[in-house]
Amino acid sequence: MPEEQKADGKPVQRAAPPGGKPASPAAPKAPAAMAVTPWESDITGMLKQQFGDQISEFSTYLGQNFLIARPDAVVPILEFLKLEADFDYLVDVTAVDYPKQPERFELVYILYSFARNERIRVKTRIPEGYKPQSATSVHLTANWLEREVFDMFGIEFAGHPDLRRILMPEEWEGYPLRKDHAITEQDTRWVKENLGIESGQ
Amino acid sequence: MADTFLDSTELVLNMGPQHPSTHGVLRVIVKLDGERVIGTECVIGYLHRGVEKIGENRTYQQFAPYVDRMDYVASVSNGLGYCLAVEKLIGVEVPPRAQAVRVILTELNRIASHLVWLGTHALDVGALTPLFYTFREREDILNIYEKYCGARLTTHAFRIGGLQYELYEGFEDEVRAVCDTILPKIDEYEQLLTGNRIWVGRLKGVGILTAEECKQYGVTGPMLRAAGVKWDLRKAQPYSGYEQYDFEIPVGQNGDTFDRYIVRLEEMRQSVRIIRQAVDRIPDGPIMGKVPKVIKPPVGEVYVSIEAPKGELGYYIVSDGSTQPYRVRVRPPSFVNLQALDKMARGALVADLVAIIGTIDIVLGEVDR
Amino acid sequence: MRKLLRTIFLIDLIEGLWVTFHYQHPKYRCTEQYPAERPKVAERYRGAPRLNTNPETGETLCIACNLCALACPEKLIVVSSERNEKTRRKELTTFTFDTSRCMFCGLCEDACPVDALELTQDFELASYSREGAIWDRQMLEEGPRPTKYKF
Repeated sequence: MPEEQKADGKPVQRAAPPGGKPASPAAPKAPAAMAVTPWESDITGMLKQQFGDQISEFSTYLGQNFLIARPDAVVPILEFLKLEADFDYLVDVTAVDYPKQPERFELVYILYSFARNERIRVKTRIPEGYKPQSATSVHLTANWLEREVFDMFGIEFAGHPDLRRILMPEEWEGYPLRKDHAITEQDTRWVKENLGIESGQ
Repeated sequence: MADTFLDSTELVLNMGPQHPSTHGVLRVIVKLDGERVIGTECVIGYLHRGVEKIGENRTYQQFAPYVDRMDYVASVSNGLGYCLAVEKLIGVEVPPRAQAVRVILTELNRIASHLVWLGTHALDVGALTPLFYTFREREDILNIYEKYCGARLTTHAFRIGGLQYELYEGFEDEVRAVCDTILPKIDEYEQLLTGNRIWVGRLKGVGILTAEECKQYGVTGPMLRAAGVKWDLRKAQPYSGYEQYDFEIPVGQNGDTFDRYIVRLEEMRQSVRIIRQAVDRIPDGPIMGKVPKVIKPPVGEVYVSIEAPKGELGYYIVSDGSTQPYRVRVRPPSFVNLQALDKMARGALVADLVAIIGTIDIVLGEVDR
Repeated sequence: MRKLLRTIFLIDLIEGLWVTFHYQHPKYRCTEQYPAERPKVAERYRGAPRLNTNPETGETLCIACNLCALACPEKLIVVSSERNEKTRRKELTTFTFDTSRCMFCGLCEDACPVDALELTQDFELASYSREGAIWDRQMLEEGPRPTKYKF
């Protein structure tokens, strides 16, 4: 299984490729880092002025803009974008697990602005056990979306009104979307305990 | 409620997961004061299959059939969203012929999905007959799917880069025939329901969600449009050649259940309009773009969303350069829309709760994934 | 005034009832009486799997290349082969297809380079046991033998 390689750490800093174009699909070997280009617009100017070095990167990949911020700055950024730049619709909150890296989880907030017809991704890296601030105070949508992130990755959000499992049963052990979560093992055990037969998996 | 004069205690009522009007396995715990709902809580996850985890353990092509099983009444839309996301990630251009066919099938799917919604919603509210009629018309659409790609419900109609199957003989005529039959049938549903005093009485002013609340809750699709926001991803960020077609975005004013009904009916008519334009000018040419046998996207990530019948359906795919996605995140419209149930149901009668659940148009396969 | 009359004479309800009533005519009947009436499925229908044989010699068309097993998302196809020393070719020995896990996506069929594996129009796949849903090579080549019901 390529699991071992997949979990392998990727450098966080990303260099712009020569020519600034994303690698073509026919390229024989994929580059180790995402081939991004810098992103500059009026929003980045405003954010730079407001947040300074709390945002480490503004980039574009395949025409999609994102920024990487410090975890404690995320909710202020969401609020700032909502009030000052009309990013009033939180599309999604999700996370990606990189178990080999010290800052294990990447939290991703996808925002959309009806007025500008633009999307932004706000990303941040957090280590295991870090409790990021909940975005429910800014966007009500975040309630269930953050519950799902908690359910699947075990990231606890500080200040969340109702942080419980949402899709998995209450008594479920572990967090299924973590890369090291062994689903078949748990399934086999469950089938044996509850049904008394060998699992067919 | 302040205006209760009888001394009553709160009642907690369990609705579902086996309840005919919860559209699957949704369980709603309702707190009641007499007939009034003073709070709801959704218990979901009964249909959770871990689609996102499955995606991490399959190749890009292998994952395509699984996405059909999320919103199973609109499986073609799911497939389109996924294919567009992967195509964007690997930078493949889809030939115009494939794009046109995709638009036709997706719009047919939108009609089919809205027909299921109309039938079941009417059934929930108490009108039994429309269900039979809507399913009869849906049958025509499913027959086209069966002839085109060999499956009716979970179609797996599209492949990454284009289409697997060439159109069968007589496809255009059959699609035109469906368009011709569906329009008078929609008028017929209106005759059955729109003027009906019971229908109007059950729906008007029930489950109001204003435009502001919709944005706060991230509600999209017909629910957002019924609140008066003229926003449709097919117009706002066109994909798969939607910019070539001429159609309107129907909007409502009050954001209540009745407006959502009107908006969805009008959307079906607009879909017919798109299909008619598309089927008249299906370009010739290849149906498959230049896709390598083994899909190995460069390291990167992409978020692509489409206007599914229920709202904004998004795919966030992270690639690590291998043949399997590192992370597939699905942004399901039903899941997010269902969150607004509590807001809509508070203060409503318990019988209206059924209408409100119906109007969200949830599919539990998509809510739970 | 008109509205009042419409309300009194229940016009809105009668309009709806008329729609229902005019469908009473037998020519609008669209229910199929399965299983007495067999539905005709489309040519491209993805149903029961079949392993095609050469109609003249009865030899299998399968070249045991294993591509279907690799393409299958559920990994439910198992192909085993043996090298024939005389012809120096791989020859198929066993082929199992677990229809209980199959979702009929058609990826195996697309992957087959010699059109040996095919999903046919046969749609009745029920069986009495879980083992019965696992089809071996013989069953795949000759087709399942369902119980015939008489009506």
